Amino acid sequence: MSDIAERVRKVVAETLHVDEVNVVDESRFVEDLGADSTQSIELVAAFEEEFDIDMDEQAALGVKSVGDAIQFIDPLVQE
Amino acid sequence: MVPDREYRSLTPGELQVMRSQGCRAGEDQWDRIRVAEGFDAQRMQNVLFSGRVRIGAHTRSGDQVRAPSGMENAHVVDCTVGNDVRIANVAVRIANYHIADGSCVEDVGLIEAGPDARFGNGVEVEALNEGGGREVVLFNELCAQTAYLMCLYRHRPVFIEKLMALVSTAASQAHGVPGTIGPNALVRSTREMIDVCVGRGAVIQGASSLGNGTILSNDDAPTTVGVDVQAHDFIIAEGTSVTDGAMLAKCFVGQGCRIGRQFSAESSLFFANCEAFHGEAVSVFAGPYTVTHHKSTLLIAGLHSFYNAGSGTNFSNHRYKLGPVHEGKLLRGTKTGSFSYLMWPCRVGAFSVVLGKHTRVFDTQRFPFSAVEADAAGRCTVVPGIMLATVGTVRDGAKWPTRDRRRGDTKRDRITFDVFSPYTVGWMIRGRDVLDHAASTTDRCRTAVVMEGAEIKRVLLKRGAKYYRRAIGMYLTEQIVEHVESAMARGAASPRDAVVPSPRAVFDESWMDVGGQLMPRRRLDEFCGAVEQGHFKDVAACRAALDEIHACYLDDQWLWVKSTYESLFDVDLAGSHDDYFCQIADTLLETKRDFLNLVLLDAEKEFDNQARIGFGSNGSESSACADFEAVRGRCDDNEFVREIQRQIAALEERVDHFKSVVTR
Repeated sequence: MSDIAERVRKVVAETLHVDEVNVVDESRFVEDLGADSTQSIELVAAFEEEFDIDMDEQAALGVKSVGDAIQFIDPLVQE
Repeated sequence: MVPDREYRSLTPGELQVMRSQGCRAGEDQWDRIRVAEGFDAQRMQNVLFSGRVRIGAHTRSGDQVRAPSGMENAHVVDCTVGNDVRIANVAVRIANYHIADGSCVEDVGLIEAGPDARFGNGVEVEALNEGGGREVVLFNELCAQTAYLMCLYRHRPVFIEKLMALVSTAASQAHGVPGTIGPNALVRSTREMIDVCVGRGAVIQGASSLGNGTILSNDDAPTTVGVDVQAHDFIIAEGTSVTDGAMLAKCFVGQGCRIGRQFSAESSLFFANCEAFHGEAVSVFAGPYTVTHHKSTLLIAGLHSFYNAGSGTNFSNHRYKLGPVHEGKLLRGTKTGSFSYLMWPCRVGAFSVVLGKHTRVFDTQRFPFSAVEADAAGRCTVVPGIMLATVGTVRDGAKWPTRDRRRGDTKRDRITFDVFSPYTVGWMIRGRDVLDHAASTTDRCRTAVVMEGAEIKRVLLKRGAKYYRRAIGMYLTEQIVEHVESAMARGAASPRDAVVPSPRAVFDESWMDVGGQLMPRRRLDEFCGAVEQGHFKDVAACRAALDEIHACYLDDQWLWVKSTYESLFDVDLAGSHDDYFCQIADTLLETKRDFLNLVLLDAEKEFDNQARIGFGSNGSESSACADFEAVRGRCDDNEFVREIQRQIAALEERVDHFKSVVTR
């Protein structure tokens, strides 16, 4: 889980062009990290590539924070 | 109007009455005034007659709204005046006009038609390329399709030569005739109108200066030209309003348009249902449903349709080299966001949204439904297919047909409203292939690829292809279900019988958007060939041929859908079992439900916390929430959201019904 969390935070920082130290579990993608709608799509795509998973877009776009993203991705990776 | 033979000379009694009421004419001129039965000399006051003047009957009395027919305080020169016409307070003169029954001309300056008047017909408009080379010749029956071909088909010189000959003949019919003010038209408080024809029922009120033009109008679709309008070298079509200080120079304004609030346009063409306020257009080919509402918007040297220009949109066609020679194309359905800038030449794929200041050349036509943004350096970055499942795209598709303001039997522009069609889906298929190829061949160490000047982030290549794949599947399966459903309702015995294409259908993998009309490329090539070979004797025959192509749209579309589906999925629909059609319906259910759910997700953003910023009087969350709900309502109650939810429910029922029908 910690490895996944670290990789999620790294992907978020790179995609949204923010400092990784500011990417914490509580960070909300839109309100706190400034993601717009195209960056949200880019994040989904980046997660898919990073973890080699296929994410349901509707569910993925419903994920609002970094912590939620970690929780969302973890079981997909375990599969 | 009264037949020529039924006019007579004035009687001595009529002459005496008119003279006593201040009417004047040269001694040899009184004989040139001829009147119809029912003429009432009492209604002639202080009129100076020159040349040959014919006057109709006066039966209409005044009421609280309308003054009685007759003439007062005017200089009338070489005019034929119909029955129950009112001409009053003409400061200079009205000369060489046919003023038809029931019309009214009052409080005007000069109205005059010269012997060489053409009434806007024959004016050459430098559309799309300000530097010329794509001139569109105006004539009264100009439609978006003919204009498009005149403008864009310069690579076929014989076609252009033949088409121009037909158009010139049509335009010349307006030459050498008097000006007309049509039946029941009103021309009031207009300072100057020279060489302008006014159609039936038109209202010209308060215009400043009109010259060399035609204002087409009819009972079903009266046209309005309003206060302070200046228009020269123009044709305005039926049911249109040009008002509030608009300025037109060398322009065609098609049916059902709205132009006003000081909009200025030069060398531009506007086709059906365009709206243009406040801003400026130069050398624009505004296909149907081009909309620009805001100040500081300059549309120049562009081709677009179903287009919405955000405030401050600005195009640039001049790089200070060989002059203003650059041009750009926004394929149908494009939007430009506030203060977006495009430095031509560029081409933007259909139904895309353009944001930012683009200072580099790019071409994204292979990527419809995309976000086309500029980075800080003005380079184009594309997110392919992201606009597919959005509220905007769905609303556009629904709203355009309901906003067709054209009335009456004659609708000159042929318009294909479909958002998803062989044209847009064809582009998606090409885009998907390009993206799939790039995704499989681009090294993971690269962050982006650049295609035709547009940058796409590598991680978005697969995602874009996925979006297109889903939309292609949704369109094809929906068309198949719809076609089979409809054919079986009409009596087809099985889905296999239902899929047989019409013998008149024409297939071409590639489709064209000809000024808002979609058609297989082959049909267009055949049409151009027929023009080149002189098969059409006049523009009416060309029009009939384009109408025929338009009438074949559904047949052509079905053949394309069937062929494309069979090719993509390697099946023969006519040889498929009933269960296969049920599988198609299940696929439709799955893909369209996903699609509509994504649209709902997009709609929900309009109600999320970010959307509430600025609401509330004291900044507290509770007041923001209450204020927002009072003004914007709740997501669950929103009519658009409920409509999408209804569509999802209806889709499930439809698929169940379809499966029961095909397996019956």
